[in-house]
Amino acid sequence: MRWIRKSAGSLLVLIAACGRDLGPVSAPPSSTPVRGGTIRWATNQQVRTLDPDIGNDEVSIYVIHSVYDTLVGYEPSDPSRRGSGLKLVPHLATSWTVSPDHLDYVFTLRDGIAYEDGTRIVAADFKTSLDRAINLKRSAFASYVGDVVSVAAPDDTHVEIKLSKPYAGFLYVMAMPFATPIPASHLTAVGDQLRREPLASGAWRLAGWDEGQQVVLERNPHYWDPTRPYLDRQILLENIPSDTAYLMFEQGELDTVDRLPSPVYVWIQERDDWKPYLHDVGGMNVYGERMNVRVKPFDDVRVRRALNYAVNKEHIVKLLGGGATISHGLLPPGMVGRDDALAPYPHDPEKARALLREAGYPDGFETEYVTTKGDDAEKLALSVQADLAEVGVKLKIRIMSFAAYLSESGSPKGVAFSIDSWLEDYPDASDFFDVKFATSSISDENSNNDCFYSNPKLDAMIEQARFELDDAKRVEEYKAIERLLYDEAPWIWEYHRHFLEVTQPYVHGYEPHPVWLRDYTDAWISR
Amino acid sequence: MMRFLLGRLVWSIVVIWFVVSATFVMVSAIPVDPIRTMVGPHADEKTIVRVRAEYCLDEGFLGQYGCFVGRVMQGDLGTSFRFDRSVSSIIADRIWPTTQLALAAIFLQLAIGVPLGVLAAVRRNRAADYAANVTALIGQSAPTFFIGTVLVYVFAFRFGWFPIGGYGAGFWGRLHHLVLPAVTLAAVGVAYYSRVVRSEMIDVLAEDYIRTARAKGVDEASVVRRHALRNALGPLVTLVGLDLGVLMGGAVVTESIFAWPGLGREVLQAIFEVDIPLIIGVTLFTAIAIVIANLLVDLAQAWIDPRVRLE
Repeated sequence: MRWIRKSAGSLLVLIAACGRDLGPVSAPPSSTPVRGGTIRWATNQQVRTLDPDIGNDEVSIYVIHSVYDTLVGYEPSDPSRRGSGLKLVPHLATSWTVSPDHLDYVFTLRDGIAYEDGTRIVAADFKTSLDRAINLKRSAFASYVGDVVSVAAPDDTHVEIKLSKPYAGFLYVMAMPFATPIPASHLTAVGDQLRREPLASGAWRLAGWDEGQQVVLERNPHYWDPTRPYLDRQILLENIPSDTAYLMFEQGELDTVDRLPSPVYVWIQERDDWKPYLHDVGGMNVYGERMNVRVKPFDDVRVRRALNYAVNKEHIVKLLGGGATISHGLLPPGMVGRDDALAPYPHDPEKARALLREAGYPDGFETEYVTTKGDDAEKLALSVQADLAEVGVKLKIRIMSFAAYLSESGSPKGVAFSIDSWLEDYPDASDFFDVKFATSSISDENSNNDCFYSNPKLDAMIEQARFELDDAKRVEEYKAIERLLYDEAPWIWEYHRHFLEVTQPYVHGYEPHPVWLRDYTDAWISR
Repeated sequence: MMRFLLGRLVWSIVVIWFVVSATFVMVSAIPVDPIRTMVGPHADEKTIVRVRAEYCLDEGFLGQYGCFVGRVMQGDLGTSFRFDRSVSSIIADRIWPTTQLALAAIFLQLAIGVPLGVLAAVRRNRAADYAANVTALIGQSAPTFFIGTVLVYVFAFRFGWFPIGGYGAGFWGRLHHLVLPAVTLAAVGVAYYSRVVRSEMIDVLAEDYIRTARAKGVDEASVVRRHALRNALGPLVTLVGLDLGVLMGGAVVTESIFAWPGLGREVLQAIFEVDIPLIIGVTLFTAIAIVIANLLVDLAQAWIDPRVRLE
C-alpha cells in the first residue's frame, strides 16, 4: 500500500513542478518585529500525546516543547554562526550551582514565573514532575534520570537534584521537555487526561486540538519573556502528506513547509526568487550502515574498512539533493568533541578490493542487507548496492517497515548488515557513543548497540569522558573516541542529514533550530 | 422472521469472533516488538520490559489472547500503543468522517452510475453506449491513487476550485472539501454500477411484460422508468449494501491522498507501526459494519421482492 502513496506523491510533485510556476509573493521589507498574526504549517505525522513523560516522537515533542518550559533551554539558532543553538541558557531557572563532585545541582528559579492561568510556578512542581518521570510505569524517559537519587524543593524558589554518579551531560537532560514543572493539583485535576490538558509554562498554550487534524497554539500571556512570542497563534495541520503540504505552501495555504521531497528541493534551490527563503540547518543526526561485528565477514576490521572505501558518499549526498554533509563518524558538525580534522573515508574501490583480498575475500562475498521503507532509504540502498558490487560484494536488499527493522537490527541473531541512524535526544557526545557503542548498551533484543561492538578499551574511554568534568579534557577524550571508531569502522560512515525548510517571504526572524528543528518563538510576520 | 434474525445474530457473532481472532493471530505473528515502536528507538531495555508488562505483552501467545478476550468481553478495546488513548475513542472520532465520505461516494455512484447504465442500455450499441463503455472502462481500470492525484492537480492546484486536502469546517466548508475525495472514491463504483444497470436493463427490456407495456401504448420514457428500471434495480440494492459495509471500514488510499481524517488512514498508520489494539479495534468495527450491511441487504431484498423468503 505504501508504494501506492509513494507513487501518487512523486507523480503529484512531478506534475506540480513542471506545471505552474508560482514564485514567492513578495513582501514589504521590514526589520523590526511586529506583534500578531498566525503561522500555519503542516506535518505528515500527528501529535500522539501531550503527556511530557510519554510523548517521544518528533511532532508530539514539538508541541510539548512549545507548551512546557524547562529550567534551562537552548539559545536560538543563528545561521551565521556554526554550531549555534546548542548552548544552554537560563529559562525557568536564572542560575544554578553544581557541587565540586558534580553530584548536587541547585537551581534558583526566575522571579515571577507563572503558568498560563497565572498560578505561580514553584520548586515543588519540579519535584512532582520529575518524580513522575521516574516512577510512571509507561514513562519513556525514566532511563534519562536513572542516576537521580532525589529531587527536593527546600523552598519555593530552589530545586535540588542529587545524583548517584557525576554526569557531565546532566544539564542537557534538564533541557529535555519532560523536565518541566507540573503542579500536583493539576495532575489530580486532569487525571488520565494529561495527554490532552497541559498546563502551559512555555511560550505557547494549547488553544485547541482536533486530534488527527490540527493543533492550535496561542501565545501564552504569562510567559516569563513578555516580548515573545511575537505571533498570536500557530496552526499545525496534522496528517498532511509531504507532497500535499508543498502544494498547499505554493498556493499560500501554508506559511512554511519542511522536509521537501528531494526533487522539489533540487528544483527550488535553482530558483533565485525562492533562495532567500530557503533555510538549511545541520541536524543533530547521523546516517550510515551498521554491521554486526560478531558475524562473519564483518568480524574482520579490514572488511569493514573496505566497505567504507567502497561506498561513494558524494553520490549519496547528490541523491539527497545536496541536503546532507558527508560524515567520518557519529558526531554531527558543531557538536562539542567532534574532530573536524578527521577526513571521511574517500571513495577508493581499488583500496577496498585490496583490503578484501587481504582479508581473504578476493572475490568479495554475498550478504543480505536490510533497509526501511521510504523514498530516500530505498534509493540510497540501490546506490550502496551498486558501489559494493563494484568491489565484488553482492547485496540482497530486503525492505522492511521501520518497526520490523528495529526488531531485526536490535537482535544479535537478526540481519548483520543494515541501514542505521541516530537522532540525538540532546547535543552531548555521550548521547551518541554511550548508547551506540558501549558494551552496557548491548542486550539480547532491542539492543541499542546494534553493532554488538564490545571493546573494553572503548568502554573505559566512554566512561572516562562521560564523567570528565574538565571541558577541555573532555573534548580531547571524545576526539580520541572518534578516531578509535573511525579505524574500527563498525559502521559505513555516510552522512548527516540537514533539515530543510522554506518560508513565505513575509515570515521573518525565523531559523530552524538544530535541536528542536522548529521553534517559532522568535518568528514574526509582516503582512 | 424472529427465528431468522436470532439465527443471523448468533452466526454474526461467530463470524466476528473468527475475524477478530484471525487478525489477532496474524498481528501476533509479525516479528516486531510493538513496544519498541511505542517508546521510541532511544529507550533502554529496562524501559521496554517495564512498558511491555504494562500492556500484557510479556505473556505468551495464549496469555495475550486471554488478556485480549477478557478485555473485549468487558467492552474495552484497550489503549492504542501510539496514542496513549483508548481505541474506542479513536474509532469514535474517525467514524463520522468515514461515514460522510462513504455516503457521498454511494450517492455519486447511484446518481451517475444508474443514469449512465440506463442510457447505455437504451441506446445499446450506439454512440452513447460506447461513450458510457469507455467511461466505465477508465473508471474501473484507473487506480484510485491516479484518479485522486489527477483531480488534485487539475481542480485543486491548477484551477483552485477545491481545497488541496483536509476536512473543512461548517456545512459548506465540509461539502467543499468532500467533493474531490468523494469523486475519487466513487470512480470505480460509478463504472461498476453503470455496467450492472446496463446488463440488467438489457435483460429486463427483453422481457414479455415490456413488450406488453409497449403494445398497450405506454410511452417509451415510462416503459424505461417505471417498468424496466424498477425491476432492474434488485441487484443494485445488494451492491449498495455491501459497498456501504466495506466503505465504512475506511478508504485507505483516498483518505491518505486527501488528508481526510477517516478510519482508513488511521488503520494504515496503525499497521505500519504495529499498533495492535488499534488494528484489532478497527477490524472488529469493520467486521460488524459488514455483517450489519449484509443483514440489511437481506431484509431489504425481502421487503422489495415478496418472492424472497427469510427462512
